[in-house]
Amino acid sequence: MLSGFFRLVASRPEIARPLLDSRLIIRFTYSDPDVVIVVDCSGDSLDVRPGDTTTKAVVDMKMKAEIAHRFWFGKVNLMQALTRRQMIAKGPVPKILQLLPAIKPTYALYPEYLRDNGFEKYIIY
Amino acid sequence: MGARSAVTHPGGYAGAFLFVDLSRGEIRSEPLDAGFARRYLGGLGFGTRFFLEQLAPAFDGPDRRRNGFPDPVGPDNPFVLMAGPLTGAPMHAVARWTVGARSPLTGLWGEANVGGFFGAELKAAGYDGLVITGASSRPVYLHIEDGRGELRDAAALWGLDTYATEQALVTAAQTPAELGGHQPARGSRRPGQVLSIGPAGENLVRFACLVNHQGHVAGRTGMGAVWGAKRLKAIYVRGSRRLAPAHPDRLAVLRAELEEVYRESIVIEALRAFGTPTQWDIGAVMGDVPMRNWSQAVWDRFDDLGPLTYERKLAPRARTCFACGVRCKREVEISSGPFAFPRGPGPEYETLVSLGSLCLNSDIEAVARANDACNRLGLDTISCGATLAWAMTCRDAGILDPSDYGDTCPDWGDGAGTVEMVERIARREGLGALLGEGSALAAARVGGAAADCLTTVKGLEAPFHDARAFHGMGLAYAVSPRGACHMSGVGYWVESGGMYLPEIEALAEPVDGMTSAGKAALHAASQDYGTFFSSCAGFCNLGGMVLSATQAVAMVNHVTGFDYDLDEVTEVGRRVWYMKRGLSHLFGARAADDQLPPLLVTALEEGPTAGSTPDMSLMLREFYALRRLRPDGLPSQDALLEVGLDDLAELLGV
Repeated sequence: MLSGFFRLVASRPEIARPLLDSRLIIRFTYSDPDVVIVVDCSGDSLDVRPGDTTTKAVVDMKMKAEIAHRFWFGKVNLMQALTRRQMIAKGPVPKILQLLPAIKPTYALYPEYLRDNGFEKYIIY
Repeated sequence: MGARSAVTHPGGYAGAFLFVDLSRGEIRSEPLDAGFARRYLGGLGFGTRFFLEQLAPAFDGPDRRRNGFPDPVGPDNPFVLMAGPLTGAPMHAVARWTVGARSPLTGLWGEANVGGFFGAELKAAGYDGLVITGASSRPVYLHIEDGRGELRDAAALWGLDTYATEQALVTAAQTPAELGGHQPARGSRRPGQVLSIGPAGENLVRFACLVNHQGHVAGRTGMGAVWGAKRLKAIYVRGSRRLAPAHPDRLAVLRAELEEVYRESIVIEALRAFGTPTQWDIGAVMGDVPMRNWSQAVWDRFDDLGPLTYERKLAPRARTCFACGVRCKREVEISSGPFAFPRGPGPEYETLVSLGSLCLNSDIEAVARANDACNRLGLDTISCGATLAWAMTCRDAGILDPSDYGDTCPDWGDGAGTVEMVERIARREGLGALLGEGSALAAARVGGAAADCLTTVKGLEAPFHDARAFHGMGLAYAVSPRGACHMSGVGYWVESGGMYLPEIEALAEPVDGMTSAGKAALHAASQDYGTFFSSCAGFCNLGGMVLSATQAVAMVNHVTGFDYDLDEVTEVGRRVWYMKRGLSHLFGARAADDQLPPLLVTALEEGPTAGSTPDMSLMLREFYALRRLRPDGLPSQDALLEVGLDDLAELLGV
């Protein structure tokens, strides 16, 4: 589900462009269920690679899949999640923080993506 | 609570207070009593007690109020400046110190909490605090050096801005022929620290502030106007003492443990990277950043004020407070263009809102220049921007006609107009004469629906954390003794997630910002702990965010030699919270003042908080029960007796 969402993000130039400007390679490691996704912003276009455990990432984000799901709805208190280690972020903090304005438009995109792909039951209202 | 050890000479303290009577030109010192220190710890624990003592003449008649209370901008308003036991210790995030008096802005208990270098220098000079009474007939400054204080003529300083005043006093101390200075002691001439007012304080602007080392500002509640009324332009302090902690070995072990905490914390790394503006983008995700006088949720120019633009346009360098490695302060410069100014302190998060998004001013250079003007002129940026946004709202609604004051009011987004209005406020010119009263008093003067455009509680303009995003902040603003305040506890940091205190039951569980249930317990506990933490001990709420309660209490014990446990320090915090609230009650605050203005609780139609509004009725009901407040807002007698405030109970007549 989240891999498809990242691919949708990659296809939207207005969102992908600032992410590409970051030049980051980000690995999302989700648990329960266990999923690994690399979002590679180092090339000319966003490359989303599910299952990539070998690429050396600049930023590593680890969290439960449920936290990630809620995050893309804008329903996770980021500071609280980081402080209580519900999210573990490794990498250069300034670069991680610089992603925040870039991903703002994705909060509106995520419910849209779920609806269009038959995942309505996962929408959080 | 364990058995208390009998510490007769606690570590960390300078051991004395300086009392200055400006009317008589008399100065005396008194030693610190160890029992008093244990009971009130420091900072506003000491400050509220000394202030209450100085109010004694108001209570000497048969009705206990025969003589009335001092006019906040009159000669008799006592002023207190107090450091904490940790202030000046060689640890991260403990440079804070406090000031207090009756507020010119609210008429109630006023206080401000500030970092920088002044508090540490004052203790090195031999004093934990100052109590300043009366008023001078001519401008003076207080010169303190290694256990000796004297009043000196400040005629040459009157009219100078805070930066020029600081420079003049530092220069005078190094070349003592100027300004009547005495021959310096032999040895190093490392400059001392200066705390001063600018033209805004001299002109009794009701939100004038005190400024140390340019960007370290005791901003809130108008303490600069208290000094202006006393004709006290500045305090210069220099000291050479080193204060020994009671248990240096234990403190060294704790310091090593905390180095790892500070190295590993993403919150600290974020503060190091961007300073307080890091809150801009994090707050935006949660709907915590007010725009257009709190009435707009989405703004297409929002990112123009964010940390990335800050980095690109203002070329910031990190600076810090005494001994703190967090380095969250920013120094910026604009080398050319209409808003050019030399390198100096850059805007903090609160100022990016007040002089930026609140007024829809998206020009970060204009915000930085307006911030520089506020620092130099001695104005609180929060009240300044909020008062300006109030005026714009009233102007749009046809409630306020600036031409009545022979002036114009800047339009939304007018950066140049904002900078010019800041200067007119400080000089009380044109519309600035009205706005210098602060928005609540200005609204009372304008009348009509002007009060509907306010964002004040008890007369103090709200800082910029949105109660629609964090409902508990609505309660925090409503019941804070000094008026709308996010610093009177650690509730904001707990509710927004930056602070995690598992040792305190009410603060241990994860919190949903946009619910009101349970927030009364959270904020009551956060007031108790937060009052101990930042109002009394000297911890910084930002840099100290990563400390557990266990670490914080340990640090206090290692420095002082006391054997506090968590229960006892939270009791100290509760005692001092009731002291502050009690002082505001003495000045007339009642339950009707524990309310938010409509603009702060009107749900927005879009954005992260769309449809959200705090349930103030529920939270206040629960809070009043927890705090044992009577229907009129006053604490019950048993609540005060339980924390040993028998005298306050008697004065309040409860």
